[in-house]
Amino acid sequence: MPTELQSRDTGGMIVAAIFILIGVLALWDTFDYTDADSFVFPRTVAGSMIVFCIALIAWSLVRPIDVESRGAESTPRRVGLVTAMLIAAVLMPYTGFLLSGLLAFAAIVWLAMYDPWTRGRLIVYPLVGSAIVLGFYFLFTKVLLVPLPTGRLFIG
Amino acid sequence: MLTTVKRVILAPLTAALMLLSAGAIAEYPEKAISYVIPFGPGGESDITARHQQPFFKKKFGKDLVVSYKPGGGGAVGWAQLNDMPGDGYNIMGVNLPHIIVKPLQKDVGFKTNDLAVIYMFHYTPDAVVVTTDSQFKTLQDLIDHAKKNPGKVTFSGSGKGTANHLAQVTFDKLAGTKTTYVAFKGTGASVTALLGNQVMGQWGYTSVGAKHSDKVRLLAVAMEQRHPRFPDVPTFKELGFDIVSGAYRGIAVPNSTPEDIRAKLSSLIDQINADAEFKKKMENDGFALVNVDYKGMQAFMEEKRKGYVAAAKEAGVIK
Amino acid sequence: MDSLGYLLAALTPYHVALAIGGVVAGTVVGSLPGLTATMAVAVLIPITFSMQPASALILMGAIYTGAIYGGAYAAILLNTPGTPSAIATTFDGYPMAKRGDGDLAITLACIASVCGGLVGALFLLFLAPPLANVALSFGPVEYFWLAILGLTLISALSQGNLLKGLIGACFGLLLSCIGVAEISADVRLTFDSQTLLGGIETVSALIGLYCIPVLIDLVATPDRHLKVENVSRGYRLHEALGISWRNKFNLARSSVLGTLVGILPGAGGSIAGLVAYSEARRSSKQQGSFGHGAPEGVQATESANNATVGGGFIPTLVLGIPGTPPDAVILGALLIQGVRTGPNLFTEHGSIVYVFIWGLLIATVLMLPIGLLIGRYAYRSIVTVPKALLVPTVAFMTLIGTYAIRNSVSDVAIMIILGVLGWVLGRFGFSASPIVLGLILGSIAEQGFVQGWIIGAAAENLWGEFFGRPISVGIFAFILLSLFSPLLLSRFRVKREMARAD
Repeated sequence: MPTELQSRDTGGMIVAAIFILIGVLALWDTFDYTDADSFVFPRTVAGSMIVFCIALIAWSLVRPIDVESRGAESTPRRVGLVTAMLIAAVLMPYTGFLLSGLLAFAAIVWLAMYDPWTRGRLIVYPLVGSAIVLGFYFLFTKVLLVPLPTGRLFIG
Repeated sequence: MLTTVKRVILAPLTAALMLLSAGAIAEYPEKAISYVIPFGPGGESDITARHQQPFFKKKFGKDLVVSYKPGGGGAVGWAQLNDMPGDGYNIMGVNLPHIIVKPLQKDVGFKTNDLAVIYMFHYTPDAVVVTTDSQFKTLQDLIDHAKKNPGKVTFSGSGKGTANHLAQVTFDKLAGTKTTYVAFKGTGASVTALLGNQVMGQWGYTSVGAKHSDKVRLLAVAMEQRHPRFPDVPTFKELGFDIVSGAYRGIAVPNSTPEDIRAKLSSLIDQINADAEFKKKMENDGFALVNVDYKGMQAFMEEKRKGYVAAAKEAGVIK
Repeated sequence: MDSLGYLLAALTPYHVALAIGGVVAGTVVGSLPGLTATMAVAVLIPITFSMQPASALILMGAIYTGAIYGGAYAAILLNTPGTPSAIATTFDGYPMAKRGDGDLAITLACIASVCGGLVGALFLLFLAPPLANVALSFGPVEYFWLAILGLTLISALSQGNLLKGLIGACFGLLLSCIGVAEISADVRLTFDSQTLLGGIETVSALIGLYCIPVLIDLVATPDRHLKVENVSRGYRLHEALGISWRNKFNLARSSVLGTLVGILPGAGGSIAGLVAYSEARRSSKQQGSFGHGAPEGVQATESANNATVGGGFIPTLVLGIPGTPPDAVILGALLIQGVRTGPNLFTEHGSIVYVFIWGLLIATVLMLPIGLLIGRYAYRSIVTVPKALLVPTVAFMTLIGTYAIRNSVSDVAIMIILGVLGWVLGRFGFSASPIVLGLILGSIAEQGFVQGWIIGAAAENLWGEFFGRPISVGIFAFILLSLFSPLLLSRFRVKREMARAD
């Protein structure tokens, strides 16, 4: 059960500080533009963002917020999911979409598995997984004519 | 040691590849060709490619499969062109002045000379467009009004550093007027602004006149000779302004593509351009065919570059 | 030929088969995040070369309307708009699914989509030529104010902390600037990275910001994705019809708003959904329930976005100006077939236009049974598939779908990174919706403002340009109303309660 307690919104303040940094970077970038039309908008927006962030930090210093505590959650699995997807994206141009997609799929099945691996699942899941990946691959390349990457490694 | 091993392995491989490509010329194209448009679907680059599609199939028996890689005003596609396999089955649309002006503005991932352009098949001539109920009946009316009211005549146009924008700058210089150019996102949005009377005129294309013939009037077209679809509209040259310009569209291949395939592909596109029905369809839509083949490309690009760079400097889009 | 003749021509087995096939294919395409209606229609172009113009239009129209409806599935079941039009469907659809009402939400969405689609198509049938002028009456300044009206939703979407919502929206607006600027062609905020040159593609950003956080949280716990009741409750059609009847004014208003926004060439299904959602919320008696699973929210968006289909065809066919991105593709296909659009199309080529409109109406009606059937299947599969297969399948879909939008690997990487960012920000109370709002409305606001400013300055009448045009003033009034009506209402309520206490 999540319980509520009051605390200062330190996280929010840190995020606001990072956003101020982003705003400053954006402002700095706008001085590079050749055309007057192209800096009016980003400058206004970046400026407003910095002002809102400062207001948020000031507000957070005086007002505590309600914080929920969370139940047992698995951070390694989260990181694993994102890593698997990013690796798939990076590998795509080299190994081709199909292989990187299959690898990512397999990795995420393993990450998302909370039930015990019975023999039935060991057989069914890979089969279903391959069918889904191949099915989508076929749909996208042959029906929707999307030129999915075929992989530079194998073409030379 | 390692290099010898490499050479031993690579030599037959290269030989095999060369044989393959030699075999390929004999019957090229053997399979469908992937034709990437570096813009989104529905624009003029798409529509003109779609015009070629059925003719290619009819003449050579193989499909042209059109797909899109939009982003960065075409830059995203062009920056990736040379990473594609140079086997003749991957080709990409290219546009002028984009491929000349963009790399001069900032690093956009490609240089003009990186692109192996093998054919320029048409251009859409620039034109001054007004609505049918406009107070401007002739170009002279417009010039007179602009001279009396400097800065007050507003033109819509597609983007900056584009054919429309450069033509407006050149015209202002030649006619001694000062007009205001309002850039819109694409020709579609710029026509909408004209039809809604948000602006007084448009630096558009002859294709606008063809598509909206019941609602707009062309005052002048930037061509050597009058467009067959608009025999009553004078050219800028006739009126004393040396402006022949527009957006050119062509086809490029990855620079790893062998010379013989480039030449062959160039002649295939040439055959489509020579088709009377294709010509009629394109001209009816307001386009004008040009036939710049692979042999003549270098001279053509060099000539265009001079004009565009000068105008772009004048317009302040490049330093 | 009279209208009965056109109707009969649209009812031939061939045309009905095209309508059914189109709606089915469209619904499936729309439900897959990353596959948009524009793309589905573009794929069809070579097929339509060999068809009669009316038949080609019926097929493309059916796919289009099906895809807009299909976008609701992913929005409701996975918190990921299948097409951009379904963004506002996530606001209430996903909370409904979370609490176990996913089946109801899908049935409601289906009914609302059919209603909206019918209203849009009927406007197209009866009022197309006069309404087409709406497309021309919106200038840059009107688009600017429309975008600002959309941005007023921030206050509703920031979940408690307005400042965080505003910061998120600014961040989204900045994201919309990245890449080669659409009109000035300056390269902005890329910091010399080639990956960012193409800018942040909206659909891939939506997938990242909405779907990845859901996946990240799904993988972290063994809990089920959605709450499920053990008893099968069928389609819950009766219940859904009851809710729809009670909210008939909401449906009607949203459908009309959707049609009008659909006519505007510079806005699309996503803006239509957002505007209708905002209006539904503003005029509701229970504003607090919006964002926490209010059926009215789903109804408003889904009716509005399907109404844009008919609405978008109005300027497309009458003026040759595409109302929405898929219309641009359809217009191109018509051009290649040699069909000239324009007012003449309605008077001289009635056999094309009216047969098509009747075909679109038939396809929309057919969407009710087809949509319910596919929707039930989609719901069942999302609910029953074991987590260890659901998570990788959805993750794989995000990868392939994001790639397919622009055939770009950079977009896939950007999608994942934005997803992680969205999850982290969510942890600190910054919700994703204001960011998305900024991203979508950014370019409309910027272009409208810059163009309006240049035109106003040329006429030496900036004030008149921004505040002197009747439509601008109207939209501006709505902006003030959305901003201050909660305040006024609460003051009014307090007064009334005090009066009652006396």
